[in-house]
Amino acid sequence: MVNYTVGQLAYLKIFFHAAKHPHLQVNGVLLGKKVSGTVEIVDAVPLLHHWTSLSPMMEIGLDLAGKHAESLELQLVGYYQASERLDDTALAPVGEKVASKVKEGFADAVAFVIDGEKIGSDDVALIPFIAQSPSSSSWWPYAEPGSPAPFTPGSLFSLSSPDIPARAVALVRDQQLQRKFGDFDDHLENVTIDWLRNSAAMPSDIQQ
Amino acid sequence: MSASFGSALHSLANYRAHNTRASQEVLEKGKLLLNSNAASKLGDDAWAFLEQLALAAIDVAKYDVADECIRQLAAKFPESPRVDVLTGIRMEATQPPQIVLKFYEELLEADSSNAAIYKRQISVLIRTGKIEQAVLKLSEYLDTFYSDVEGWVELAELYSSCNQYTFATQALSHALLLAPQNPFYVLQFAETAYSADDIPLAAKMFMLAIDIVDRHTSDESIPTGVSIRAWYGVKLCCRVLSERSCSSASETPLPRNLNLLDELATERVLTAYSAGGTDNATGRELVSSWMGPSDRSGTRLHFVH
Repeated sequence: MVNYTVGQLAYLKIFFHAAKHPHLQVNGVLLGKKVSGTVEIVDAVPLLHHWTSLSPMMEIGLDLAGKHAESLELQLVGYYQASERLDDTALAPVGEKVASKVKEGFADAVAFVIDGEKIGSDDVALIPFIAQSPSSSSWWPYAEPGSPAPFTPGSLFSLSSPDIPARAVALVRDQQLQRKFGDFDDHLENVTIDWLRNSAAMPSDIQQ
Repeated sequence: MSASFGSALHSLANYRAHNTRASQEVLEKGKLLLNSNAASKLGDDAWAFLEQLALAAIDVAKYDVADECIRQLAAKFPESPRVDVLTGIRMEATQPPQIVLKFYEELLEADSSNAAIYKRQISVLIRTGKIEQAVLKLSEYLDTFYSDVEGWVELAELYSSCNQYTFATQALSHALLLAPQNPFYVLQFAETAYSADDIPLAAKMFMLAIDIVDRHTSDESIPTGVSIRAWYGVKLCCRVLSERSCSSASETPLPRNLNLLDELATERVLTAYSAGGTDNATGRELVSSWMGPSDRSGTRLHFVH
């Protein structure tokens, strides 16, 4: 199995998306590339927070995000979602569908479900899901008997830097950066919203 | 002091009128008013304000503020069904679901006409993941309270979340009977029909949504909001219809002049991106290339259900 690292830009965007709509389901895609056996998840593009079970705008957003990834010399490498319920850490049926589609273009695709219980803490609030077989559309939480839990030392899943979750919490709590964050749904209501880059919501030290 | 009170009151009234869920802001503005006992100066609005503040406080877990509001409301309106609902919502925040459900059952036995309590019951079932029960209860509720449009929309969303898109469109068709001029419901119907793989029906409904919006605006206007979504939807349908043969469970005929419709949809969406010389419209080139006829490379993703 390959390793996965999640970079700061990607984590912050997922976090802000969930933080902006705490009472709604949100989803989006992950952008990255495979470098010597490691999938580097570098960026994320937020899609929907409204009618998240319906497909047309999701398909269009996915297409556009894919083209945007190409322009950055990246690929679509995964999917993320956050549920409206804290205790719901399952991957929704629509999530399995999207993740499977992404997997057709990138064999090592991964899906992350946000862990609502951990999102306010310094812990990594992401639960990885992996497809059960190359052709399966059934995704299960990653669990290898005897392996460390995801995002703990020695696991296949890691962050590019351990202080990212704490930084994410601080940016929401102190600077409310998530209020400047926009997804595809927002963009459809106002085309000036830069859902692909979201530069306005990112702290100034992060390179896009 | 009075200037900021005035503007706070104005914002709060605005939020009430639009049913906005801006709980953090409502709490910040409302706490000031609550502490200065401005409620006594608000006249009849005081009670709507206290209810609004209680709901906002519960939303952001400031239960002491909520309890104070409910205390005042209960004192003024003893045995009020509306206060019962608020009390129930407050319970939902901190009590186990079975206790709250029992509370609601008892209230309904005493008064079976309290629609809001039925809906609280259903929302507790949804929140605890009991979707099948929620769907059953909601369907029963709608048998009695047929004209509750939001109820039909909620039922549709529950069905959609379980991939039951056809049942969802049936629920939405009731919403459309009750509110035929609402473009959002038409748009939701269109998107649901698409998800149910009834592409001709989706195309027809996307165009109906546009039609309803256009009736209220001038001809050459720039598409915004609902229209942009709907024109994107039309474009997507045209593309799918030209790429594969689609059957329609509702036996909706294919749109005539598919090529012309495709061109029109393309033009309308791109207009939204070029309007008024907006260099601010982001991703315009990306959208343009997505729209282009040369993009039939098959890398486009489509879900087949």
